[in-house]
Amino acid sequence: MKSIIIGLVIAVSSFSYSQNCTYIFLGELKDFHDGTPIESATIYQKENDRYSFSDLNGKFKIENLCAGTLTLVISHANCETKTVSFEINSDTFKTILIEHHIEELKEVSVTAHIDKKETTTAQETVLKANTLKKYSALNLGDALKEVSGVSSINTGNSIVKPMINGMHSSRLLILNNNVRLQDQEWGIEHAPNVDINSADQISVIKGSGALAFGGDAVGGVIVINPSRIIRRDTLYGRTIIGGQSNGRGYNISSTLNKSYKSGWFANIQGSLKQNGDFKAPDYNLTNTGLKSQAFTVSAGKKKFESGFEVYYSYLNNEIGILGASHIGSTFDLVRAINSDEPNLIRDFSYDINAPKQDITHHLVKASYYKRFQKFGKVNLQYDYQNNQRFEFDVRIGETRNIPAIDLKLQTHTLLADVNLDADLDRKINFGIMGRFQDNFANPATEVRRLIPDYEKYDFGAYTTTEWQISEDLIVDAGIRYDFNRIDAKKFYLKSRWEERGYDMDFSDIIIEELPTQLLTNPIFNYHNISASAGVKYNFNDRSYIIANYALSSRPPNVSELFSDGLHHSAARFELGDLRFDKEIANRVSASYAYNGTTFNLLTEVFYNNIKDYMYLRPFDFILTNRGPFPLWQYQQTNAQLFGVDVTATYDVSNALQWQNKTAFIKGYDLKTDLPLIDMPSFNTTNQITYSNEAWYNFSARLKSDLVFEQNEFPDFNFEIEDELTGDMILVDISTPPPAYHLLHFSSEATFEINKKTNLNVAIAVNNIFNTSYRNYLNRLRYYADDLGRNITLQLQLNY
Amino acid sequence: MKTSKFFISALFCLTLMTSCSSDDDNPIPINPEELITDVTLTFTNTANSADTVVLYSDAPDGQDGASSESVTGSFTSGATYALTLEILNTSETPADDVLNDDIIPEADEHFITYAVNGLNLTMTRDANDIDGPNGSKLGVNTTWSVGAASTGNLQIVLTHEPTSTDDSDGFGTVTGGSEDLIITFNNVEIQ
Repeated sequence: MKSIIIGLVIAVSSFSYSQNCTYIFLGELKDFHDGTPIESATIYQKENDRYSFSDLNGKFKIENLCAGTLTLVISHANCETKTVSFEINSDTFKTILIEHHIEELKEVSVTAHIDKKETTTAQETVLKANTLKKYSALNLGDALKEVSGVSSINTGNSIVKPMINGMHSSRLLILNNNVRLQDQEWGIEHAPNVDINSADQISVIKGSGALAFGGDAVGGVIVINPSRIIRRDTLYGRTIIGGQSNGRGYNISSTLNKSYKSGWFANIQGSLKQNGDFKAPDYNLTNTGLKSQAFTVSAGKKKFESGFEVYYSYLNNEIGILGASHIGSTFDLVRAINSDEPNLIRDFSYDINAPKQDITHHLVKASYYKRFQKFGKVNLQYDYQNNQRFEFDVRIGETRNIPAIDLKLQTHTLLADVNLDADLDRKINFGIMGRFQDNFANPATEVRRLIPDYEKYDFGAYTTTEWQISEDLIVDAGIRYDFNRIDAKKFYLKSRWEERGYDMDFSDIIIEELPTQLLTNPIFNYHNISASAGVKYNFNDRSYIIANYALSSRPPNVSELFSDGLHHSAARFELGDLRFDKEIANRVSASYAYNGTTFNLLTEVFYNNIKDYMYLRPFDFILTNRGPFPLWQYQQTNAQLFGVDVTATYDVSNALQWQNKTAFIKGYDLKTDLPLIDMPSFNTTNQITYSNEAWYNFSARLKSDLVFEQNEFPDFNFEIEDELTGDMILVDISTPPPAYHLLHFSSEATFEINKKTNLNVAIAVNNIFNTSYRNYLNRLRYYADDLGRNITLQLQLNY
Repeated sequence: MKTSKFFISALFCLTLMTSCSSDDDNPIPINPEELITDVTLTFTNTANSADTVVLYSDAPDGQDGASSESVTGSFTSGATYALTLEILNTSETPADDVLNDDIIPEADEHFITYAVNGLNLTMTRDANDIDGPNGSKLGVNTTWSVGAASTGNLQIVLTHEPTSTDDSDGFGTVTGGSEDLIITFNNVEIQ
């Protein structure tokens, strides 16, 4: 097969003039993948300027050929046009393999208009570069809110964790360039370590339908892809420069892509952003500055039959955390809740002091693929990630400049994956995954480890299949098995060990006894089965319905197992439980989509039933020398969530478009009959866009965000005693903030500078009326209002 | 086949890698430096050094665990007492003197306030008290005047990085900052 290709590439060379023009060329066109004949292809003879066509068997015949070079240009509706040359000096028969099904084979498709989806029957939404560029100065979590049903759980404004249908952290799986992000995602204040500027396209998949990526995505999967490689000689790039009034921030991001027709390519991308203290409408949010640097480089060779890529990305974020959120006692928390303003307001500054986070993430990836005739494609991938997390707390004495949390998480992963696409009506995909992870909690912090040292081993194997039953009906199904083993070395205070009853159940894991502490070696193994099945049916060209069932199984994460200590910013003790077993989710979903000429509608409904759902809730009190503290424990219960997400657009006229996105979700604890904590409230976004392509691609939009008050929440309020006076004081940690409405404006235009260069200018005003509000899903809502008005200007140069 | 060979060797590498890097070294234990385990307030009658009232708070795990308080002795009505403060971390050997090693060197960021409920006690910060933040006295060297017989509660609060402080009434008031200690002693008696 290779020889054929080599043969084809032989350049136009020797001409031998011969009078003998009686040779016959017999050709046979076959599909590369399954060897089926290609009929009705057009074959153009360059030398003779003549056309012929292949017959039912893919064959064609050219008579009366002279000796010399014969160049054929073969084109077919579903194929990439192929040019081949032969030296003719006798009657010749050749089989020519062409790449059929260009539409189905996403690797070959370079058409930018096609949404390259990762799944067929899952609830998937694709965000493209055009949308993502608006979030150049912001976070992944901010951009994903473009998808109805996706919200975020925040710690301030710079730590934004995406939330899909009410689920976040370990229940979401984030893939960055096909590498599963391993960045200590268990923590609610651990934002994903991804630079949004490195993404060209992001797929948000609700639920765990994408088994190839993992079986534990109880909430959903986020697939981030860099820009695709175009196989032609080209050099292009993009630079974005932006400024924001709120926080006096700036951001710069630049990308350069070089590719060759031969398949070789190289990309480089870098981003820099910084802002100082943000401002709420009425006051400065002291110590909310951010400094971020990121870059990625990649290179490789991408051809139809084989290819490889090496990729490296680096990200460093230094994030200040609202100074007023550093509290010492539950009384401080009460004062913060009852006060309208934060207790620490200083003048604007770019300085970032404690409390702050400083996180560095390295990702290295090497991948290789090869396509085999009449078989399919084999992919191999190795990746390494190094995540270093420092959290600086407000400390005294010599420890002032030492982080209170210093964790280094290293992950190695090997993936092998096979796509059988010889029969495009019965696609099969299978693969295996092996992973080793090592976490090191640096004792130099001189703070008892929140997360212990551990090693983790994962092994996964899966298979998925997709059947095109008829033109209008596609069915897919998959099954996956995962094995997880965690081997930790954890210190327990003797008092805590006994209080938790571990002395009865786990005495065999003690490996060392110290005066006040015990060193233990918990080793846990988990076996997980996950599965999914779905169907997509096209009623007609305009509407379709999809239905999907997914079973997912998530082993407890390290914080659910091992947490044991005081969480400063929340003024509470958080306790994990060694006895936890995995949680198992059964999710059913259905979507209906209608795409008309002026009206589009997408309605998605889901029901998620989670057995042994792990969550944190207050349980008891502990009286310390800092006063009384609530004790929060991770619990396992059974939970159910259900909801509806709607996206609708209506073209009022050619220039005017209205869009609505609405999400409704409810979640309940089935054992206690309480609503689940931290569920997004009903919210609806309306947007009117005016666009005029003739006038420099001008567009302007007005967007209204209406977020209702969460009226169903678990009442975890408690009372603490002021021991001095004997008074009982209510700690209202549960009551959600009131509803709010925000109005945003944005506008952009694109100017052509020359044939290859254009400049996009975008201006936006967020929170036009400088409305004061607090969001239920912001963990710092007890301490301060959210952001006030922000005017932004962004220039994007495409070249 | 070439591919399967690559694959097998890749798997082999993973096995090798995992088996090589699993070291059996145990992590070292951490005894937090800033921990406060023992807080003792010793009131000594300025006219009779044998007359003392000792308020003691014991939290073996520091802020990570429960604390218990005890009151030894009772105040004598009409007398004047000098307070000696001791703040220790006894989880280290020898015990770490948190007051003298950490708090006093950073006196400009700390402030101690006292409060009573039901007790006829008043107090003043001594002239030789250590200078605290914003021109206030830290509250380490204090003198207490005892009034009529009564029983009630006495509280000591150590605040870190207060926004504002006021020591005009001796007991002191504070806004902002975070509390490193809040200890209340119940059933303190004046006889």
